[in-house]
Amino acid sequence: MAQISQDEASVVIIGSGAGGGTLAYELTRAGIPVVVLEAGPHLRNEDYMNLEWEAFNQMAWLDPRTTSGSWRIATDFPNLPAWLVKAVGGTTTHWSGATPRFKAHEFRTRSVYGRVEGANLLDWPITLEELAPYYDRAEKAMGSTHRHGRPPLPANNNYKVLAGGAEKVGYRHYATGPYATNAEPYDGRPATVQDGFNFQGDKNGSKWSTLVRELPRAGETGLLDLRPESQAVQITHGKDGKVDAVIYLDSEGNLHRQAAKVVCVAGNSIETPRLLLMSASSLFPDGLANSSGQVGRNYMRHTTGSVYARFEKEVRMYRGETMSGLIADESRHDPSRGFVGGYYLQMISLGPAFLASFIEPGAWGKEFTELMDAYSRTAGLWIVGEDMPQETNRVTLNSTVQDRHGLPVPDVHFDDHANDVAMREHAYAQSDRVYEAVGALGTHHTPPYPSTHNLGTSRMSERPEDGVTDRWGRTHDVPNLFVSDGSLFTTGAAANPTLTIVALAIRQAEFLVEQLRTGAL
Amino acid sequence: MGYPEKYPAKYPQLNEMEFTDTARQILIRILRVAFPHEGFPDGPYERQADQIFELANESTWFRIKLTQGIATLNDLAGGSFLGLDDQSATKVLKHVEHTDFFGFIRRTTILNMYEDEAVWEVLGYEGPSFDKGGYVDRGFNDLDWLPDPRVEESQEEFVEIVSDLPVTSGAAPGTDQPTGDAARSSHPGVASTTADQNLTEDN
Repeated sequence: MAQISQDEASVVIIGSGAGGGTLAYELTRAGIPVVVLEAGPHLRNEDYMNLEWEAFNQMAWLDPRTTSGSWRIATDFPNLPAWLVKAVGGTTTHWSGATPRFKAHEFRTRSVYGRVEGANLLDWPITLEELAPYYDRAEKAMGSTHRHGRPPLPANNNYKVLAGGAEKVGYRHYATGPYATNAEPYDGRPATVQDGFNFQGDKNGSKWSTLVRELPRAGETGLLDLRPESQAVQITHGKDGKVDAVIYLDSEGNLHRQAAKVVCVAGNSIETPRLLLMSASSLFPDGLANSSGQVGRNYMRHTTGSVYARFEKEVRMYRGETMSGLIADESRHDPSRGFVGGYYLQMISLGPAFLASFIEPGAWGKEFTELMDAYSRTAGLWIVGEDMPQETNRVTLNSTVQDRHGLPVPDVHFDDHANDVAMREHAYAQSDRVYEAVGALGTHHTPPYPSTHNLGTSRMSERPEDGVTDRWGRTHDVPNLFVSDGSLFTTGAAANPTLTIVALAIRQAEFLVEQLRTGAL
Repeated sequence: MGYPEKYPAKYPQLNEMEFTDTARQILIRILRVAFPHEGFPDGPYERQADQIFELANESTWFRIKLTQGIATLNDLAGGSFLGLDDQSATKVLKHVEHTDFFGFIRRTTILNMYEDEAVWEVLGYEGPSFDKGGYVDRGFNDLDWLPDPRVEESQEEFVEIVSDLPVTSGAAPGTDQPTGDAARSSHPGVASTTADQNLTEDN
C-alpha cells in the first residue's frame, strides 16, 4: 500500500464502491498513484454477519438524512431514504449481483419516448455502441454468469417458482442471470455456497465486489493509498477555478487536507451532490460544478416494489442466492401498456426480521401475522424499472438539521411520476399472474424499500446547461473534477445500475489515463 | 380514573416510577393481540415486553406514553384490558393504533421480535447458514412440486421496442412486433398522451 503525501497534488478518488473502486484499479494498473478516501471502515468478508439487523448496523450508511415529498418512505422510514453501505467496497459489498445491460434505446429516451409531461428526459451523450466494449470488460471483471463463457447458476427454490410462473404466463426471457456471483471458481474466488446472505455481505467471497477484486489488486500495484474512515466534506479550488484539494474528516473528527490535481467523486447519488453543494464558494455560489442548477436534481431510484406470494407447499426462498433469477420480458419499451420504459421482475428474499419490517410498514394484527406465518411457504420478487427523471426530485442540503460534525444533513425529496405509478401497478398485476399461474394462495404488494438504486444527481449531458457532467463524466464547469458513480446517469433505464457504473468507470479511467499522459490534466 | 402523567414533569422525581407486574402482563397481552401467532411460545412475547420496558426506561417520553397508554386501555376496556377476549381486545387496540403509545410498541416489536431464534423455528427459517456450509448441499433447490425450469437465457429474439400499434388479443409477451425507426418515430405522441392522461387523473 502506497503512502502519498497530503501535500502531493494527486488523483483523489472519493468513495471505493463500484465507481471509485473500479477507477482506482484501472488507474493504478496504468501506473498512476491514487488516494482513495472512503468514509466507512475497512470491513473484511470474515467480519460479515448472517443476521439482518446486526449486519445492517455494521454496514449501512447510518449518518442522518431527511426525506420529503409524497413517497411513502418519507412516512415509514423518514431518516432512511436509501439503503447503502458505508465501508470499503461501498455498496458493492451488499448488492445482490444482477448485471443486465442497458438497451440501446435507453440511452435515447428523449428521442424514443418523446415528451413526457413533468419528466426531464434527456438523451445520454453516449450510445450503447460506445459503451459495449466496456460492458464486455465489466462483465469479465465481475464474472457475470451467462456471459463470456461463465456458466449459469443453478435454479434455487425461489427461482423455480418465479420461472415456473413465467413459463406458464407466456414469458420467455427468464434465466438465473446474468448475475455477478461465481457458479464455479473464477478469478481466484470460489463458487457460491448458496448461503442466502447477500445484503449482509458475502462471507464466502463468491460475489463480485470492489472489496474482493479491484481494491486488493490496486493495492498490489503499490500505487494505492486507501484511507478508510476518511469522509470528504469539501472540495476546494484555486483562483483558476480548478479543484486543488479535498478536505476530509478522519474517524476522530479531525480535518485533513489532501492536495489534488484531479478529483473523482464517487460517493453514490446522495453524498456526491451533497459534497458538491457543500463545496460552494464565491466562484461557485450554488455549489461546485452547478452552473446548470442540475446538481442534486433528477434524483432517480428506479420504480420498485415487491410481491410476496404464499403457497400451499414449502418454498424456503431464503435458501440460496438472493437475486439469481429474473424475468426480462417486461423490460421492453411498449407504450401500449400505458407507460414508457420497461421493468424487470427479479427474485428476492428477505429473512423474517426484514420481511416483518418491510412487507407492509405500519401493519399489525392478523393481516400482518398471516403474512409472516406463511414465511416458509412464501416466494418473493422485486420489481425494478425505469423511473422518470424529474427536476423536483432532488437532493438538497437541509438548512434546519446538521450531523454530529455540524455539517448539513442531505434531504432527499421524491414524488412518483404518473408513469412510475402506472408501471408499478402493471408490474404488481403481472407478478400476481406469474404467481397465480403456479398456484399462489394469495399475494401481497409490498411498497418500495428504502432506495438501493440511487441515480442521476449529477447527470451527463451533451450541453452544459442540461446537466452537470460531459460524456466522460467530467464536470462541465471544472476541467479536473469528475463524477464516477451512478449520479452520472442521464436516465435510469430498467437495468440494475452496478454493471453500468463499472463500465462507465472503466471508460472514464481510459480517458483519465490519456489526459494525464498527454499533460492535458 | 386519571392519567399518571401526560407530559414531562418540571422535576424528574415526578417520573421516577416503575412498571408493576400487572403492567407487564398487560403489555404481553397487547403484543399477543396485536401480533397473534398461534404457534409462538410465550418466550418471544415476554422478551419483547421486557425490551419495550427497557427502552421506555431510557426515555422519559416513552415511559410516560407507555404508562398513560396502559391506563387508557383499561379505561377503554371498561375496567380491565386483561379481561377481554381476543376480538374485544383487538377493537380496543384499533382505537389507539394511531397513538404514540401504540406506535412505539408496534414499531419496536416489528423491528425486534422477528430476529429471535424461537420465532424463526416456528416460522421455518434456519438463521445463519454460512457456518453450516450454506445450503449448497442442504436443500437450496429441494422444492419438488414444480418442474425444474430452464436456467439458461432464451434463444428467442428479444424485441426491445414494441410498436404501439394495436396488439391483437392473446399475443404473448415479447411477441414480435414491428420495430425500427418507423415504429420508434410513432412513439412520442402516444407516450406523451399516456403520461398526460395519467397526470390528469392524479392531479
